[in-house]
Amino acid sequence: MAFQLSTGSCEKLQTAPQNDTSVYEAPHTLQFLSVKKVHGATASGTPNQPPPDRYRIILSDGVHFIQAMLATQLNHLILDGQLQRNTVAVIEKSTCNLVQGKRLIIVLDLKVLGSMEKLGEPIQFGASEESTSGGADRQGSLPGAGPTPAPVASSSTPAAKPAVPSRAPGATQRSRTSVYPIEGLSPYQNNWTIKARVTQKSEMKHWSNQRGEGKLFNVTFMDDSGEIRGTAFNMVADDLYPQLQEGKVYYVSKARVNLAKKKFSNLTNDYELGLEKGTEIEECHDTTNLPVMKYNFVPLSGLEQIAKDGMCDVIGVVKEVSSLSSITSKATQKEIPKRELTLVDKSGFSVRLTLWGKQAEGYDAEENVIIAFKGVRVGDFGGRSLSMVSTSSMQINPDIQECYDLRGWYDSQGAQTSFHAHSNMNAATSFGFRHEELRSLDDVKQAGYGMPDRPEYFSTRATIMHIKSDNLSYPACPGPNCQKKVTEQGDSWRCEKCDKSYPAPEHRYIMSMSVADHSGQAWVQGFNDVGTMVFGMTANELLEIKARNIERDEGQFNLVLHKAICSTYNLSCRAKQDTFNEQTRIRYGISRIYPINYREEANYLKDLLYSPWSR
Amino acid sequence: MSALEREISPRVNAEMLPKWIGKTVRLTCKLLNFDSESERSFRVEASDGGQVVIQAINTGEPFRPDDIYLEVIGKVIDATTISMLGCIGMGNELDMKLVNDTVILIHDPRFFGKMFSY
Repeated sequence: MAFQLSTGSCEKLQTAPQNDTSVYEAPHTLQFLSVKKVHGATASGTPNQPPPDRYRIILSDGVHFIQAMLATQLNHLILDGQLQRNTVAVIEKSTCNLVQGKRLIIVLDLKVLGSMEKLGEPIQFGASEESTSGGADRQGSLPGAGPTPAPVASSSTPAAKPAVPSRAPGATQRSRTSVYPIEGLSPYQNNWTIKARVTQKSEMKHWSNQRGEGKLFNVTFMDDSGEIRGTAFNMVADDLYPQLQEGKVYYVSKARVNLAKKKFSNLTNDYELGLEKGTEIEECHDTTNLPVMKYNFVPLSGLEQIAKDGMCDVIGVVKEVSSLSSITSKATQKEIPKRELTLVDKSGFSVRLTLWGKQAEGYDAEENVIIAFKGVRVGDFGGRSLSMVSTSSMQINPDIQECYDLRGWYDSQGAQTSFHAHSNMNAATSFGFRHEELRSLDDVKQAGYGMPDRPEYFSTRATIMHIKSDNLSYPACPGPNCQKKVTEQGDSWRCEKCDKSYPAPEHRYIMSMSVADHSGQAWVQGFNDVGTMVFGMTANELLEIKARNIERDEGQFNLVLHKAICSTYNLSCRAKQDTFNEQTRIRYGISRIYPINYREEANYLKDLLYSPWSR
Repeated sequence: MSALEREISPRVNAEMLPKWIGKTVRLTCKLLNFDSESERSFRVEASDGGQVVIQAINTGEPFRPDDIYLEVIGKVIDATTISMLGCIGMGNELDMKLVNDTVILIHDPRFFGKMFSY
């Protein structure tokens, strides 16, 4: 049975004004060229119900074909099988919605006539007028349905061969699928293109381990929906490294979507991109609606709240810049250049931020610039400190509101104010005595403090049980700030470091003590300050007593020693592993020794009993 | 155990005295003045600020403690009087707030008897 399609219907439906009932309530006999289910992402259903399936249809009047959606009340026709490909039906009622500037026809009511083979050679209506940014438009015609229909669209129009390839502008031959949001990337979908800015590019990193060696670099892509990390290795890295530049926007497609290795990245995305030989990267010159860096600034006074090793973004005025220095990394034995900046902001606090490597070397901004930092790590050196990591990025004098606010504040009052630096009261440095982290000696031994990967510093309270009296002190250089051992040369003592000789050395304590608490016992080493506190006299004096006593009897000296033991002190210690002649031992050294202030300790205990801990 | 229990002398402050009438307690306190007529009783201030009269032992000698802060062990006569059995000098400096907090903690049902011996 042959049906006559109402030619010109498509044209009318696509061009008539929205409220033209003569078109939308008139019958049109059209053939369904395609029926495809799309999952409705918009909440067209009632709340708490999953959105209903929607069907996207292609209607042909023999001359043109247009895209349309089937109203949900007609879904049953498809489910029954009445409506399918090549069905001819009379569209009795329809409406036109405007979505993102494009028209979408919704078929509200129809009557099925029958089915027959495709009539005519319909072409896409409006193919000639289709704008060059076809990708975005395509997506726009499906409100809220997300990126999935886009490939559907490009694959569901097999008949419309002439229309599709001519869409892509410029020199590229490939047809660009519509732009995905980064959040929509997954390994399950590999026909995607993202349009994103490179917000951070790392340096080329080289590695060599047992399995071989190679090089890689990372980038962070960002668009409106989110961020994702991309990594390129070896040859691909060589190609892409010069091509990808920070701050520029690129279309990326055909990269591999892998599960993210969270260890190497601090981004929240579950996936990351592996940039490979087949990956296509094209610079985007379309400067509209480009994503800008998103910052989540923390005021410097609030850094205290962020735990150590956390990441944050900050913006501040660079008040001071230190000169380039370098330190040798313990882990890799390499020398790494570093530079410290002092940042201040409106909260009245200052903080030190460390730049490393090339960033440190290449830093040459003028005084009092405002820099925004993203993804810097929070440390607890001197209270709070900041450090750049490989994923951090900085922008000098960024074009954002916070920068202007800071500039205004600094120019008017900031330059004169004196700033608080974060003090050590809460997060004490390694030398402070930390009540909250008081450890018992057994604890320290069990936990293996001092081994690699273990904390080195701890605080404890212990009582001196025994002091080794054989080697209590050494002759030291009396010169200012020099504590080097001096050697006796005839009548005078010579210091190698100062290159001077002295008539008499200043003895300094170096003692080995056995301390104990309720849990156990340990041997600790202490230096001059420890000795002075424990004995209550200088090393010189003690040696004198010892010398005097050898002539008479050892009474006095022993008395001094005797008085020193059984006293309790708060100790701030450092554990370190030492190896000598195959034997590895952990030695505990006392960094600071404090006498017990019973009042303070009792108050502390009382607080503990009143705290939630005791409930 | 019960014989020992009767020998307890927990530390108290002035507020707690009514609960311990007839029992032996320890009061950590600060010397205020002497009741000079009888030379046997003197006033002290307990850790919570309440004032208590201490009746000293009648030895014929006037009672002259060396320290300002004392710990008086005695039997509670009434809410404001303790009859002294013994006295310990606590020196001239004592953080009475800390003492009071400790005394309150001692009597806290969570801790009394378990953590603090009496």
